[in-house]
Amino acid sequence: MNAPERSSSFLLDEDAGEQKCVYTADTKVTNAGTFRFNKEDHTVGNLLRMQLLRDPNIQTNNSTVAPVEVLSSAIEDLANETDHLITQFQEAMESWKRENDAELNAQF
Amino acid sequence: MPHQRFPRVQMLHIAPHEIKFILSDTDTSVANTLRRIMIAETPTLAIDLVEFSENTTVLNDEYIAHRLGLIPIRYQPADSIKGGDCNGAFLPHRECVCYERCPRCSVEFELDVSFDEVNPHRAEEELMAPLTVSSQDLKSNNENVRPAHFSSEEEQEEAQDAGVAIVKMGPGQRLKLKAVARMGIAKEHSKWSPVAVATYRFWPVITINEEQVATLTMEQKQELVDVCPDRILEIDDVTGSIKASENAWDTATYTDDLEFFQNSLKKRKEDEDFVKCKQSTDRFIFSVESTGAMDADEIVMSALRVLKDRLNHLAQEVESLKDM
Repeated sequence: MNAPERSSSFLLDEDAGEQKCVYTADTKVTNAGTFRFNKEDHTVGNLLRMQLLRDPNIQTNNSTVAPVEVLSSAIEDLANETDHLITQFQEAMESWKRENDAELNAQF
Repeated sequence: MPHQRFPRVQMLHIAPHEIKFILSDTDTSVANTLRRIMIAETPTLAIDLVEFSENTTVLNDEYIAHRLGLIPIRYQPADSIKGGDCNGAFLPHRECVCYERCPRCSVEFELDVSFDEVNPHRAEEELMAPLTVSSQDLKSNNENVRPAHFSSEEEQEEAQDAGVAIVKMGPGQRLKLKAVARMGIAKEHSKWSPVAVATYRFWPVITINEEQVATLTMEQKQELVDVCPDRILEIDDVTGSIKASENAWDTATYTDDLEFFQNSLKKRKEDEDFVKCKQSTDRFIFSVESTGAMDADEIVMSALRVLKDRLNHLAQEVESLKDM
């Protein structure tokens, strides 16, 4: 009776005007703030967190860089890494198929 | 600028129903993200709506509808025999512009089995025995889409059934229904998950302290090698020293037997360990097994594309924040 729709765990609530990403600047620290990603879970969350922790700007609490820049370059690096993975995967499949029985490959 | 990583992939085994590969030079978060997407966010087709015309079987309507939903549905593009990615071929029903459903966002199946009609045509020994309604009886309206009756060729050869059993019928019973399959992700219902298993293990990093090992007698070395139930170590015939066995990466389960046993071998507690076996932080052995709806390699490719689209979408959203 009170159960929410399963799809509400991953679809944005359009009627309530929910946005994917909301930024709130921190009042006390310069160039710091909170990003809120709606309807996302650890799948993307942990990935982004680990990537951001590798940024030297974050490790040294560098407050001359805008947070949006930092986040955007982290996402860009992850997207490039994914592209790289896609080509690597395709190449690895090709080379495995070449090395193995040509007869077996006829079914692919 | 944080450094971009350049991961590498090496295939171990490719079969239509399963794939094993090694992913290296990347973080656990990437491996886990890939695993989570393969399990929960790779779109597949599954029966979502069922209209019953007649059901006089022993199972009630919603029970049968539930079972129909769990049958893996295979999309096979016209020119290939592989179970392909339905993501490009169909639209999610929420995004489709049609009123209720159309061939672009859904596939219709029909099932009409009546015991009394089928019975006279069966073999002597089977007359009047319960009739199994299976996934073979589902007739699709899209020739590229049909149920995956078996998850692999092996299973098909060994099985005595014709396909996935839906319900068993007796005399006088009939099942007539129309089922609509739509695209979705397992986050909404696990029937849309394309994998039976998607998992990864860590590559073992075995370091052997040669100096310390040299202080052991042959019997002690043999004991050390035998204490590990995974048999990740062996004695080198030539040098008489301990080394990692060839299949250590496949058999390692990171038990603590080695660690505990070494304490009894050490002369002083503070001494260095003889052998250490740790989990690697950047090398993973993936194993993905399909339900039959998609080929295993298609599942991984689809998951990677889903991840790429997700990251691009996030990048756009963050970009739009810059303009504010």
